[in-house]
Amino acid sequence: MMVVFPSEEWFQEVRQAYNSDQGLHSGGGGACDTTAGFKVGEYWYFIEFEGLECGQVRQCTEQDLEATDFILEMPLETWQAMLMDVQANGKASSNLTLNSIDLEFEDGIARSPIDDQYRQDLFYRYNQNFQDFFDASSLVETTFESQA
Amino acid sequence: MSEATEIPREHELDTSWMDNMAEWGVTAKPGKRGLTLADVQIGSYADLPAISDNMTGRPRGSTPRAEAYRVGAYQVHTLSEIWLDNAEYLYEEALQRQWSSATDIPWHTLKPLPDDVEEAECLLCTFFNEVEFVAGDVPARWIARTTPDYLEARNVLSAQVMDEARHMDVFRKRALANGGGLMRMSGATSGFVGSIDLARDFTEMSTRLHISGEGAVLTMFRMGELFGQNDAEKTMYRLCAQDEARHVAFGVMHLRCLGDTAPERREEIECYLDEAEEQLIAGQQNPAGRQSESSEALAVLLGGGSQHYDEGHKKLLVIRRRQLKEYMKRVISAGFTDRFENGRSPIPAQYAATA
Repeated sequence: MMVVFPSEEWFQEVRQAYNSDQGLHSGGGGACDTTAGFKVGEYWYFIEFEGLECGQVRQCTEQDLEATDFILEMPLETWQAMLMDVQANGKASSNLTLNSIDLEFEDGIARSPIDDQYRQDLFYRYNQNFQDFFDASSLVETTFESQA
Repeated sequence: MSEATEIPREHELDTSWMDNMAEWGVTAKPGKRGLTLADVQIGSYADLPAISDNMTGRPRGSTPRAEAYRVGAYQVHTLSEIWLDNAEYLYEEALQRQWSSATDIPWHTLKPLPDDVEEAECLLCTFFNEVEFVAGDVPARWIARTTPDYLEARNVLSAQVMDEARHMDVFRKRALANGGGLMRMSGATSGFVGSIDLARDFTEMSTRLHISGEGAVLTMFRMGELFGQNDAEKTMYRLCAQDEARHVAFGVMHLRCLGDTAPERREEIECYLDEAEEQLIAGQQNPAGRQSESSEALAVLLGGGSQHYDEGHKKLLVIRRRQLKEYMKRVISAGFTDRFENGRSPIPAQYAATA
């Protein structure tokens, strides 16, 4: 079944794929505890990692993200390019990983809602988990809002 | 006939040691992350002495033994000297996020590179071998100097030593795996990096190592995804960056804790930061700093070859700008904001100059 990105349903499907694959919970992508947000086009999403699992992910408002550790924000076309690449290759190519994309923008794509570098650094500390999460979307048949 | 001493049948087994229990009836419960150090901070076992008089290696919370030898005149025996609010979490995180340089790096993606690119990568690997040696060696010394009452902080440092051992070996492996080898040592260990080992106070060491040194290296490791030439190198740098971010977190949280609990030491800390910042904007010790062999190697890698050196150098300046910005924001997060507003720190001017 095709799921549209961005949508809460799409993130839930990816969460299920990520939590089901034990291979994603080792090799530097082990336990982590953090809350974060994604800004995708006009939509906001909240995500929580607890230990070895993605505990929850849901659509929310910008205000709901004020207490999160960091927010990833990039243009919709960049999100789509990253996910199309994941769909095509099973995981992000090296120039389309979250970290690589972050480095391409002068101010990066990660920011702390309260401008606290300690919290923003959690994106670097748990980078592999977030990458694994989006790489797990290769298992979710995806269509994009602009195509739907 | 046996020569063993014959014990009279009426001898009673002495089990008086059973009466020497510390707090008893403790039942720590595992949570979602298993049974963690945070879960066993329970009852009297969680009591952290502000000043520790434990010189015998007695595990915190256990019953003292009168005849125990004084095996450690622990230099670090005041809580504020080493403490941070999330030591137990950082330790568990370190344990649960270990990776293997042998099997978690896709070494099969290495392929022959042009000579100048291979030499530049090998020079960086040599440099990182040197600095990661210091980053493992120095915390190791401080573990033994710290009272066992502060076991959570000690354990984080122990995990860091393991992380640094892995970083040393992964860069060594990369240098020796693709037709190159190690290059001439950079000499960084005789400058600021080496001076970390001269610190006579734990916070002085942590400021130099975790905030200044590893903060700068963290930015470099993250940039590895830009200058890495294949998946093996990019993965190597990304996984090292995660570890490095944890070490930086130790430094930020310790400095924050010290600033709050020992305000009389704030000016002293400012002096450590003065010294660290002079070195941060200097040349040889910072691979993204002013002209040095390692910064030239970075420019070659970022450009994709020595013929594109200028292009790579421009990218390096962007990296440097980011490095300075992240450093300032970490020091601010640790509670030392004023130095960037009152003209004490040279970093804001340096940052502006890179625009």
